[in-house]
Amino acid sequence: MDALQMQRLEQLNRVALTEEERESTFVFFEKRFADMKTCDSVDTENTERMVHVLPLANVLRADEKKKLFSREDLLKGAPEHTDGYWQVPRLLE
Amino acid sequence: MIYTAKNETAGAKKIALDDLILTKDYPTAAGSKMLDGYMSLFDAEVVTRVKEAGYDVAGKVNVGEFSLDLLGETSFYGENRNADGNLVSALAESLKQADACLCVDSNGTPRRAAALNGLCFIKPTYATVSRYGLVATVCSGETVGVLAETADKCREILSVIAGHDDKDGTGLPQERIDSAKAATEIKKVAVPVSFLSGLSEEMKTVVANAIADLKAQGVEVVEIEDDILRFAQPAWNTLSAAELCNNINRFDGVKYGYRSPNYKNIEDLYTNSRTEAFGILTKMQLLLGSEVLSTENYMPVYDKALRMRRVICERFAEIFGNSDAVLLPVCSQTAYKQTDTDTAYNESLYTAPASVSGLPAVVCKGIQLVGNYLSDASLLALAAKL
Repeated sequence: MDALQMQRLEQLNRVALTEEERESTFVFFEKRFADMKTCDSVDTENTERMVHVLPLANVLRADEKKKLFSREDLLKGAPEHTDGYWQVPRLLE
Repeated sequence: MIYTAKNETAGAKKIALDDLILTKDYPTAAGSKMLDGYMSLFDAEVVTRVKEAGYDVAGKVNVGEFSLDLLGETSFYGENRNADGNLVSALAESLKQADACLCVDSNGTPRRAAALNGLCFIKPTYATVSRYGLVATVCSGETVGVLAETADKCREILSVIAGHDDKDGTGLPQERIDSAKAATEIKKVAVPVSFLSGLSEEMKTVVANAIADLKAQGVEVVEIEDDILRFAQPAWNTLSAAELCNNINRFDGVKYGYRSPNYKNIEDLYTNSRTEAFGILTKMQLLLGSEVLSTENYMPVYDKALRMRRVICERFAEIFGNSDAVLLPVCSQTAYKQTDTDTAYNESLYTAPASVSGLPAVVCKGIQLVGNYLSDASLLALAAKL
């Protein structure tokens, strides 16, 4: 991975690293990918993926409308809100 | 504790809560500037259950940012160290003000807190305790456990919080969870010797003493060779980074949480808010998670980690064919001075096997006993004797 690819990854995840942080992150990546590479010594070609450790059954609930929280309550945690809506910068000029 | 209860019920037992557990009466920050001051509109299911059982909430306990670290050192609210410069666990300290503490175990932080402070902690079988109302980090492995001074206290509180919850889609049915309540005697414990080589001399003594205690209780202890379980560390780190990346991408400075004052447009708002609010370990794990899920790495890294999870579970099943539990160290050393990202990762060698497999683990006497699925009561019964 090069600096451009790391910057692209930062943009994708909406974070910006300083040069110093980027250097540390390169080293961090190198070590983690090297560790993961050690797993290649185990043949898993015929092993199924395990997404969940215990079997799950999909359970459907009744399709009923419920009002859990009021609009006022939901807006209480908002950094900025106006007229009952979350406020964000103007998207279109 | 970062928030302490003001109203107390006379005579009520007190439960502290780690700061990944949502509470409507106290802020929940998960150790992150991103959620500093955040007030949930509801209690997590485990909080509802302890309250209904008559316990008082003693307060909220500081954790590292999203509990990715060793013992809480990456918290936005700062770390605690003792006079010797060693890291102090806020989870362990909370027991000075509470009978027990409910802690979310994803990267082994509460297990380390118990092991380094002579306490007991149960990380229950995955899906036996509701995850409804947690600040989600690593959904496929995170579990609410109980930290207390004794195994009996852990058992008492676990019986209150364990049980099916319709609000948690990953929970086991009640009849399966009930089967974890019956204790059977643990007669044989396996010790994978490969996990003992990297321990400090002091920690080797801790393990030797625990083995002697087990033998004194009539438990047969056998050493086993194993070259599979150590792969739990890279597999779990890969899966947890990927899941963390998905979970914390919800924090964007719009609906709740921190919003940077420095923005001109929506892109600035997202990027500056996240950059200013997340610590470096969180950013590294976030970027790693994104990278392992990329087109280039999905199959060779992420998919491989999912397959390794099955290999590790099958290896555990093989061991449990001959033994009732596996003894593993929890930490390589008896105290932490150095707390960089490498140390946090290196120490996950010992906690990752139970995390990636969802198996129950009980920490006592400075070590952990990992049992088969739903053997929680058996592990606690043995721990109570040690």
